[in-house]
Amino acid sequence: MSFLKMLQEFFADLRQEGIPITFSQVEDCCQALLLIDWSMEEYFYTALYSTLVKEHSHESAFANVYHRHFKPGTTEIMSQPQWSPPVYRESDLIEDISGYAIDALPVPGMQSMRGGLSQANRNPLDQNFGLANLDDVRKMETLYPLIARRLAARMIKKNRRNDQNIINYRSTMRHSMATGGVPLNIVTYKRHKEKPIIIALCDVSGSVMTFSCFALALLSSMQRFFRQLRTFAFIEDLDEITHLLSTGDPLNLRTSVLKGARRVMGVRGYTNYGATFMGFIQRYGHTLSPKTSVLIFGDARNNWNNDETWALDEIRKKSKRVYWFNPELGSNWPRGDSRMEVYRKCCHHSFSCPTLSKLEQAIGKL
Amino acid sequence: MQDKIRNIKDGMINAGYVCDDKTATVLYLAEALHKPLIVEGPAGVGKTGLAQAFSLMKNISLVRLQCYEGIDESKALYEWNYKRQLLHIQAVANKNIDVIEVEQDIFSENYLLRRPLLQSISSPAPTVLLIDEIDKVDFDFEAMLLELLSEYQMTIPELGTIKALNIPFVFLTSNATRELSEALKRRCLWLYLDFPNSEIEQQILLLKVPGITQLMAGKIAAVAHSIRQVELKKAPSIAEILDWASALLDMGIDDLDVETTLQTLTIIIKHREDAVKLEGMMRSRNDLSFQPSPTSNRGWR
Repeated sequence: MSFLKMLQEFFADLRQEGIPITFSQVEDCCQALLLIDWSMEEYFYTALYSTLVKEHSHESAFANVYHRHFKPGTTEIMSQPQWSPPVYRESDLIEDISGYAIDALPVPGMQSMRGGLSQANRNPLDQNFGLANLDDVRKMETLYPLIARRLAARMIKKNRRNDQNIINYRSTMRHSMATGGVPLNIVTYKRHKEKPIIIALCDVSGSVMTFSCFALALLSSMQRFFRQLRTFAFIEDLDEITHLLSTGDPLNLRTSVLKGARRVMGVRGYTNYGATFMGFIQRYGHTLSPKTSVLIFGDARNNWNNDETWALDEIRKKSKRVYWFNPELGSNWPRGDSRMEVYRKCCHHSFSCPTLSKLEQAIGKL
Repeated sequence: MQDKIRNIKDGMINAGYVCDDKTATVLYLAEALHKPLIVEGPAGVGKTGLAQAFSLMKNISLVRLQCYEGIDESKALYEWNYKRQLLHIQAVANKNIDVIEVEQDIFSENYLLRRPLLQSISSPAPTVLLIDEIDKVDFDFEAMLLELLSEYQMTIPELGTIKALNIPFVFLTSNATRELSEALKRRCLWLYLDFPNSEIEQQILLLKVPGITQLMAGKIAAVAHSIRQVELKKAPSIAEILDWASALLDMGIDDLDVETTLQTLTIIIKHREDAVKLEGMMRSRNDLSFQPSPTSNRGWR
């Protein structure tokens, strides 16, 4: 197998894993390969890495694909190509390298193992919540601070005060003194946007466990963008968990919730949305006001209990906005015991967030 | 080539920065390919320091542009000194000078305020251009920067086109609070600087804190490494660990134990919840390994 083909297969595999490789990157990569000494594996890896990987979340996938294609020790066997002036066509450039290295490759060592794209290689941001096993959850956990930071930056941008407003004549004239009476800087009235009050209801039962824990963790990290954040957990009954979120520890939430809020479990331990909404209206209805936004995190699988849509209707009438975040795909909503189709009519907006990146986008839209 | 990399590493150590093989290789590639370098990583890991040490090593001047949200051309490229121009106009108002001559005089080099980007392009000697925190700027600034980085020339309407005499070494640092635009990433090489392992951190301590013993450096590096494995709101940065080491040296402490660490914890931990958590870990096991104690509940994993 020639080196040309091997490189092209390497790029194709990377693209399949979700790492975009453009033509100019290929060109840079080849130029870099011509510059370095191939006897040391690390230089070879670094040359590929710095030209092809441009995002931190791609690093692990890149490493996996690299180890699949280039077995350790193969770079020493390849003979070092001589420096030649750069050429501009992809195949031309690779011809250049492959011309020098073509005899040196033992065929068995170079065969890349095409063992299907396992879940382990997927970008953790696109990992489906329902299909995640323990390893995947750990990987998502490591990326959690990145997402929290990105959301925070987005919220800061949104809450930026609007600077294109009514002109403040007095200030403008005063500042114009510095430029000799010519108003070069125009000063406007700055208006600050009001921060929302958020009430979050989270289903913490087994089916949506990972999803709601991440959602709760993200919300608590964004607390400073809300005037007030109150969170409630429910399975069969509802309980307030705001005091448990005050410590910043994201993923031990579920155990602390189940320990601290025993009411949540109820009698049988199966999710009951109807009873939850009823309980919320009866006990916490007074917290709703025209300024509150209600966020519901759950899959709407009611286990054939009563719907009590009137309760959700009441909630909507009393608050400004009701949003529903469902970890299932939109196509699964009408199936089984999911009452999403009924409930979504009572919500202002519903989002389907099967992956971390969708969850991030959805929360960013608040 | 190995000695080239070793030369780079030694040169950086002379300039006061310890880098590993990967960083040195990427620096070598960036210089050889004349490409800008995007350096990403958590806060306090030495991204800005890398550019500064590089400029010291090459013995060329460093031009720094600190980016922030809302930065625009006038702060980054150039600006006319309006106030001085107005003063000049008013000063010559009563004299009989030709209008065209006044105009030409006003839009000349004296009245041009050169900002960092223009400075680095128009300087006769090669420079290192450090664009700090590029992820804070907005989209149109990035587009303007892109144009600059591909052509290395700038057009000022009244003065004409200014071409770069020497292509500067460009470093862009980012905290990854948002995705950079694809076009920018494609133009540059990329490096992710993570927190170093214990050996490199020990080297950094020995280099930057004069008078520290090998033993102490090793212990501090090991403790720093294990603290970073704990889930904290903010992991201690390298600069904070250096401050901690010099503080311990000043206090005359030559061994690390739980009590001293507790007393000086505020140097490296800046959030109350982190401090409480670490204190709990230290007290429960009475050592500095910072592992969760056997009785802690990490239930559903």
